[in-house]
Amino acid sequence: MAEVVFDQASRIYTPGAKPAVDRLDLTVADGDLVVLVGPSGSGKSTALRMLAGLEPIDAGSVRIDGRDVVDVPSKDRDIAMVFQNYALYPSKTVAENMAFPLKMRGMDKDERAQRVRQAAEMLGLTEYLDRKPKALSGGQRQRVAMGRAIVREPQVFLMDEPLSNLDAKMRVQTRAQIAEMQNRLEVSTVYVTHDQVEAMTMGDKVAVLANGQLQQYATPPELYDRPKNAFVAGFIGSPAMNLLDLPRSSSGVTLGGVEIPLPRDVSDAAGSRDKLTIGIRPEDWVLESTDADSSTVVKAVVDVVEELGSESYLYAHLADDTSTSVVVRGPGRVKVRFGDPIAVRPNPDALHVFDAETGERLP
Amino acid sequence: MTATLEERPAAPENAGGKPAIDKAEGWRRRGPLLPALIFTIIVTQIPFILTLYYSLQSWNLVRPGSQEFVWFSNYGDVFADSQFRTVALNTVIMTLGSVLIAVVLGLLLALLLNRQFAGRGIVRTLLITPFLITPVAAALLWKTVLLDPTLGLINFVLTPFGGSGTEWISQFPLASVMAALIWQWTPFMMLLLLAGLQSMPTDQLEAARVDGASAWSTFRELTLPHLRRFIELGVVLGTIYLVNIFDQVYMMTQGGPGVASANLPFYIYQRAFLGFDIGQSAAMGVVVVILTLIAANFALRLIFRSFSGEQEAA
Ligand SMILES: Nc1ncnc2c1ncn2[C@@H]1O[C@H](COP(=O)(O)OP(=O)(O)O)[C@@H](O)[C@H]1O
Ligand SMILES: [Mg+2]
Repeated sequence: MAEVVFDQASRIYTPGAKPAVDRLDLTVADGDLVVLVGPSGSGKSTALRMLAGLEPIDAGSVRIDGRDVVDVPSKDRDIAMVFQNYALYPSKTVAENMAFPLKMRGMDKDERAQRVRQAAEMLGLTEYLDRKPKALSGGQRQRVAMGRAIVREPQVFLMDEPLSNLDAKMRVQTRAQIAEMQNRLEVSTVYVTHDQVEAMTMGDKVAVLANGQLQQYATPPELYDRPKNAFVAGFIGSPAMNLLDLPRSSSGVTLGGVEIPLPRDVSDAAGSRDKLTIGIRPEDWVLESTDADSSTVVKAVVDVVEELGSESYLYAHLADDTSTSVVVRGPGRVKVRFGDPIAVRPNPDALHVFDAETGERLP
Repeated sequence: MTATLEERPAAPENAGGKPAIDKAEGWRRRGPLLPALIFTIIVTQIPFILTLYYSLQSWNLVRPGSQEFVWFSNYGDVFADSQFRTVALNTVIMTLGSVLIAVVLGLLLALLLNRQFAGRGIVRTLLITPFLITPVAAALLWKTVLLDPTLGLINFVLTPFGGSGTEWISQFPLASVMAALIWQWTPFMMLLLLAGLQSMPTDQLEAARVDGASAWSTFRELTLPHLRRFIELGVVLGTIYLVNIFDQVYMMTQGGPGVASANLPFYIYQRAFLGFDIGQSAAMGVVVVILTLIAANFALRLIFRSFSGEQEAA
């Protein structure tokens, strides 16, 4: 159990090049599960490997339980890691795999066996203890990898995309199991994924990374409701938030000839900018009758309908501007089809407004 | 890595079993290989059958017209021949000794080359060269340049330590031949094992680091089991080549003194072409083939089983 702190931690692979992780500041509270999420190449794995001691920390520091670990070798950091491809030892049985970290720490045989048995029970691996990893399914291998981390009873768990090799159904199941187990063991955990759904469902807090830089570090609801910039806004949520560059008008912005008023504080913060990036989540559109007056509703033409049963998503382009596309959530069993006209109005209370140049949230 | 790949649902092309190939199609595909097959049979199996036939004859080239059918008496003579037994033992020592020492040295060099250091490319090239030298040239090099009692480099180097008088080749004939063989085969083992080391998944090594394994534990518990197949391959290939080795023996010692450094191929050659005893040497050839087959099928398998068992228990 420990607090993990990244303090301006950087990793520069090639001198002179852009850092893979750029002055990362992050505090993982004791017992929390923090998810690092971001697109591929954003530096998530690198950050995790810096914490694991598998990459050097070129600048700044990383602390585990108050101890600066910059010069501490991996094995002395009291961490356990689950790798993307599990990294099981192929020549060892499941039991030997799980006992390996204990053996390396000189624990005696009986205690090793005892701990492995407990972990195996918890993970439902008891009947596979004598098998080699080759004879296990993907899900079982994943659990062995988890088991090898658990038996250690480390201060911190590190997981690098541990679910990416599982099929969709297994992934959802295992996701819940990991979150539940982490809750029970109360071990601080840093979890890396590129999947924002995993991030939102598992994380006590979520750190969004892009280009090696921390974009926002917040709880999942906060991330969803108040994204700090246009990148986070577009990255979190599925389907993604509509991000539209709109010209200013007297009281707000205009979209497809319709005046969208902005709240006082926002328009104050927007100052004299003549263009703003407006973010509207698919569920924040109101579907109106197509007969409505075109000065109050935005007219659009449907391109694709995704019917999900309980709801549907309409992908449409604006009637008078075919280059602007929007995604609108509708009710299930919606009647519209390809080519049908629809009329929508954004919910004015749910707008996200960003600077069109920097992408920073206003205000 | 491979483990997880195997696990994924079968790719479509593997999905529905192998389509049955009809006979004509089978011929069309494999027919072109037939000439090669026939040629192989002619040059390997027919001589073998002739050898079998000769081995049942008493036939010495020095006494023309002496050829007669004697059943298995040649075989009896082979097993009664104490020199044959010495030579057989020499062969085992020479082959397995050279192969195993070459594997160990090759492994050490491969571990060295698997690290990053300045000039690694040049070092690797230099280490490979012994393997590229013609065996006869290599044997001459060892016999004259290195081991010659008066002109050899080894005695030259040893002079300050008072070891200059050694007649390496006559005092240690078997060891001298083996030294040349090991020198030549170590690079092969090194290359093979280096390929093995480089195919080791890095995430396993990283997992071991996080799990707290020392360098030695990592080597013993992970690297060595991973290299097992490469080591096996090296031992099998090396044994196949070295059991037949002739050049070094012929060039360096002529099997002597006596038969102290002779191996079976050389001894058979001596019997056939210096002693002209065709029947006897044919019988020896047959015995050697049978022994080699037994060795290949049982001894090697046994070695590997105990080897892998040891790994599992670790
Ligand atoms: N060993 C390496 N050498 C050089 N550059 C690397 C290395 N590993 C990763 N990078 C670079 O660092 C950046 C971050 O990589 P990574 O942390 O693996 O991203 P993620 O896990 O978020 O997909 C990428 O631009 C990648 O190309
Ligand atoms: Mg990654």
